[in-house]
Amino acid sequence: MTTPSPAPASGGRPRDVTDALHATIVGQDDVVEALVLALIAGGHVLLEGAPGVAKTLACRALAAAVAGTFRRVQFTPDLLPSDIVGTRIFDQKTGEFATVLGPLFANVVLADEINRAPAKVQSALLEGMQERRATIGPQTHDLPAPFVVLATMNPFDSDGTYPLPLAQLDRFLAKVVVPYPSRDEERTIVDRFGAGEPPLRAGVAAAADVLRWQREAHQVFVDAKVRDYAVDLVRATRGAELVAHGASPRAVLALVALARARAYLEGRAYTTPDDVRDLAPSVLRHRISYDDRIAIAGGDPEDVVRRIIASVPAP
Amino acid sequence: MVSASPALALRTLHVDALAMRADRTQVAVGEVFHLAIHIRVRERVAALDELVIPDVGTMQILGDERHVTSSPSGTDVVETLTLEPRQPGTFTINGAYLDAVDARTRKPSRFSANPVRLVVAGGTTLTAQFWEAVRILVGIMLAGTGALVVAALLVTLARARRRPQPIPAAPVAPVAAPPKRTPRDAVLEALRTYRTAPSHDALMRLRAALFAAAGADAGSTLRDALAATTDQGLRTALIAAERTAFGPAHARDAASAELIDATEAWLR
Repeated sequence: MTTPSPAPASGGRPRDVTDALHATIVGQDDVVEALVLALIAGGHVLLEGAPGVAKTLACRALAAAVAGTFRRVQFTPDLLPSDIVGTRIFDQKTGEFATVLGPLFANVVLADEINRAPAKVQSALLEGMQERRATIGPQTHDLPAPFVVLATMNPFDSDGTYPLPLAQLDRFLAKVVVPYPSRDEERTIVDRFGAGEPPLRAGVAAAADVLRWQREAHQVFVDAKVRDYAVDLVRATRGAELVAHGASPRAVLALVALARARAYLEGRAYTTPDDVRDLAPSVLRHRISYDDRIAIAGGDPEDVVRRIIASVPAP
Repeated sequence: MVSASPALALRTLHVDALAMRADRTQVAVGEVFHLAIHIRVRERVAALDELVIPDVGTMQILGDERHVTSSPSGTDVVETLTLEPRQPGTFTINGAYLDAVDARTRKPSRFSANPVRLVVAGGTTLTAQFWEAVRILVGIMLAGTGALVVAALLVTLARARRRPQPIPAAPVAPVAAPPKRTPRDAVLEALRTYRTAPSHDALMRLRAALFAAAGADAGSTLRDALAATTDQGLRTALIAAERTAFGPAHARDAASAELIDATEAWLR
């Protein structure tokens, strides 16, 4: 667990956070955008990628940029729910139980390798993500605001992992696939990080700024046609070829929330069909369960999502 | 506020025919077909704005062409809708209608066309492929027969022109082939309509015409349209159309004025 010391900042803009992330992360534009959009939309992000593609670094950079508290939890098979949420400890001096808050009580929580912990630990985390509160003993505690969980997963080492059920994956606003960097980007990585610790730009925005962005983004206008397009996209996942179960209505809410956040980030007071179409893959890919035939045929789930999106005409 | 009786605003018309037909009644999702509405009145009129086209439900309207042919014996209006089904199933498109005072009875009446039943197959199913194959075969046979009929008609017409006819026969084509228009013409027409009556539908038609002018298909987004053209004037108009179409109501008037200016500038 690490906690970068928060630096005071106010009047920060979302673009400042984007710039701060780009100052640390080489390339990965989609990842940077998804993290900032999730911050504005007040949602959680699941990052999937091979080891060493800067998943964790991106999360640390985001936490540093927003001057709030940051906790990192390495998920392991022996982790217990109380390791996440907190526990009550008997204080011998007072003869009473004292509550010790767990790492969930932070503005930015990094759940590293979330699929390596058993289901009961995942449930404790995901309950907090949904309810934005946690119960320790007889008391329920509100989580701090803003509250963002950034979880990482490695798609390769599946031994000893506990796959997240669809209902739990649904709690993530977006799932971002973190690709390998390009050759040029990899050369820049060597130049930037070869000398030592990666530079983190800290405190470009305050937690209060993030709450203001969230309020303002909520006011972004969504035309009925754009809303209907989002609904049609999500509905198209149900009954699509090679799809066993389509996305839930929560996916529509997530898609519209992200579209609003994108418009806000770009300084627009309204959403467009482009916002919806661009963000649909990150909203849909983890909310769909695929038919067994996709594994037999060696198909790519990303292709299925792309085909579904392409099948729905934009307004 | 009580409005005037609708009957007072109705025109008196002698409606001889009002019919509706589709060029195909078996299509697949995504396959374009045409729906033609033909109305004939005995009066000589410049337009029949009273004609109400049917609600086509979830089908995408890709085109709407209206042609008016007037002659001393009356007026023929043929409206051709280009439609693209989005959902499979069996659909019944209610008939187009027209409200007018019937010249025969002097009473306000509603003249309705026949409904059209349409079977839409899902995607490229075997049924859709079968019907497509049947359609192609029938098309080839009809094309051959049609060529012979056209040749015979041409010969007959050539002979008929040599001697005067007491009453010239007014040919009524149920589905008139629309004249070839350029994308610029379509934008100009859509702009005129939008300026006259700036409804949301007119706005979306103007936006669709601008998209088509850029070379973007129906169902594309602004990014697709911008990627398809380097014409700076058209790009400005496309962006203005997007802002007008999807922007908040309080900003729509300003965006609309900007759209009209940008489109006019591009047309110049």
